[in-house]
Amino acid sequence: MNPRLIGTLAQKDLSIFFRNRFFAVITILGIIAYLVFYFVMPGTVDDTLEIGLYSPVSIPAFEDIDEEGLEFVTVTSEEQLQQAVIDGRFIAGISLPADALARLLAGESPVINAFFAADVTPEIKDAVAMVIQELGYTVTGQTLYIDVSEEVLGLDLGGTPLPPRDRLRPLLAVMLIMVETMGLATLISSELERRTIDAVLATPATVADVFVAKGIAGTGLAFGQAALFMAIVGGLDKQPLVALTALFLGALLVIAAGFIIGAVAKDVLSVLAWSMPVIIILLIPSIAIAFPGSVTGWVEALPTYYLVDTIHRASNFGAGWSDVWQNLIILAGFDVVLAWAGVVVLRRRMQ
Amino acid sequence: MNQAINAEELTYYYSSLLAVDHISFGVAEGEILGFLGPNGAGKTTTVRILTGQLRPASGRAYLLGTDVSRNVEKVQGQIGICFEVTNLYEQMTAIENLNLFARLFGVDAFDADALLERVGLAGRGKDRVETYSKGMKQRLMVARSILNQPEVLFLDEPTAGLDPTSSEAIRRIILEERERGATVFLTTHDMMEADKLSDRVAFMNQGKIVALDTPHNLKQQFGKRALKARVLNTSGELEDREIVMDDPQTPQAVQELFSSENVVTIHSEEATLEDIFINITGRALVE
Repeated sequence: MNPRLIGTLAQKDLSIFFRNRFFAVITILGIIAYLVFYFVMPGTVDDTLEIGLYSPVSIPAFEDIDEEGLEFVTVTSEEQLQQAVIDGRFIAGISLPADALARLLAGESPVINAFFAADVTPEIKDAVAMVIQELGYTVTGQTLYIDVSEEVLGLDLGGTPLPPRDRLRPLLAVMLIMVETMGLATLISSELERRTIDAVLATPATVADVFVAKGIAGTGLAFGQAALFMAIVGGLDKQPLVALTALFLGALLVIAAGFIIGAVAKDVLSVLAWSMPVIIILLIPSIAIAFPGSVTGWVEALPTYYLVDTIHRASNFGAGWSDVWQNLIILAGFDVVLAWAGVVVLRRRMQ
Repeated sequence: MNQAINAEELTYYYSSLLAVDHISFGVAEGEILGFLGPNGAGKTTTVRILTGQLRPASGRAYLLGTDVSRNVEKVQGQIGICFEVTNLYEQMTAIENLNLFARLFGVDAFDADALLERVGLAGRGKDRVETYSKGMKQRLMVARSILNQPEVLFLDEPTAGLDPTSSEAIRRIILEERERGATVFLTTHDMMEADKLSDRVAFMNQGKIVALDTPHNLKQQFGKRALKARVLNTSGELEDREIVMDDPQTPQAVQELFSSENVVTIHSEEATLEDIFINITGRALVE
């Protein structure tokens, strides 16, 4: 491989990319739109936290409990309570056993189940425990020890509750990366369709030079935009190296997807047709982060799950290398396998 | 004279289709070889093998003494190719296209404007190629193929479908390149062009070279010279007469024509390369 030729070809690819008005507009307006979208989302959490309550028997004293910032909502079953916590409608849920009132009145300590959302803070857990203890005092008029069984539903991140826009941050960053799949695939497809690749390969530039140059152009575009976005929205404040590594590995996915789509697509329209389903599928894990409980565990089969999860943990909870190294290795593994497949498919098409 | 191109038993298949069938030939340094044949004869495939874009199924190709398959990069640094299809970066300007390929060839001292002027595109260098006419694009393709001052220049149908002005500009450049010392491998199915420009011509048909010689020798060997006369018959109508030349009976036939017919016009006519190709292969160059 010749670095001078690779540099020349990558420069040419970037130049052509930005001369395509569609992609230039998508790239520039895309960043602006995502930034606007991020900043118009609420930056703080609602001060009033809703707590779900399931009780098979009526306990009037519960209605008298008045904790600042807490609002109790009654549900009709424990399953409904758990699902509501998983869906994020309640930050916590309290399930009283059928004999709770009787045991309290008998001076015994009942076991009360408390369900928490994945990212609930220790302070809220303490507050809920206090509410339950207060319930015992209100009912019996004396301080009783109540055994509270805590259960975290979903992934316990143990961090602070996330403002909606920070929850959306991984989705927006990954969208910026994935959309470049279309740009790279179009660059490749048009080179093949217009046979300009023949002219390039009739010079001392080799197939490897062309692949590396396209890889640099694709990675540069995808990584550059996502890193810029994350820097502006504070996504690099906590663990910048971890987040940037994840973004870089994510950008490598773009090369693989771009090579494969560019090789199979016949023209720009078919690039669009191939790219959209691929991008949508790859974005599903981001939706799972943005809207917890909306997607089940099968998303772990998608490479972008490990990208999104790492960005989410690193940028929102300050997860370090020791927390996400497995994610990064799996993501790198996907990169290698898919990039290899992309190179094979594209090489066959070029021949 | 040294051989610039030497092909030995080249063979190439597209799946099971034999596109190039054990062809061997040589092209001397500074020579223009016209490579003639109808569509699908294997001309472009041969060019792709000789320029390292395709690896032959069997046989060897040498350019300037270098085995093409073994040292493609070295070979490609010494050649220029003008492709049959227009494959320019149309979103870029002409100057940007030329500068890009100059960098890929490692050409540092390069004047794009001068080259554009040479191909008749002076003043259009900063326009995007997508705004060019077909003839202008083709002239730019030729400019791109010679920017590295190649020792061997491959031109694949460089004037196909062009207006006379563009065609003439390209023919002039081909001759200038030969003057500079370049070897020119000219693929075409325009027999007039090949006849006009080529030192030798090769006829390719169904993957094989069926004849290779100078146009003059081919005409001598396979063509027939004739006298074409137009006479006025007794009814006052014009009729054509043909007398084959290079025949022992020719003088007598000419004498009889003038003594017995009312000759209006008479001229000699040579066989064209098209006639010879049909004579050899039984098919036309353009079908």
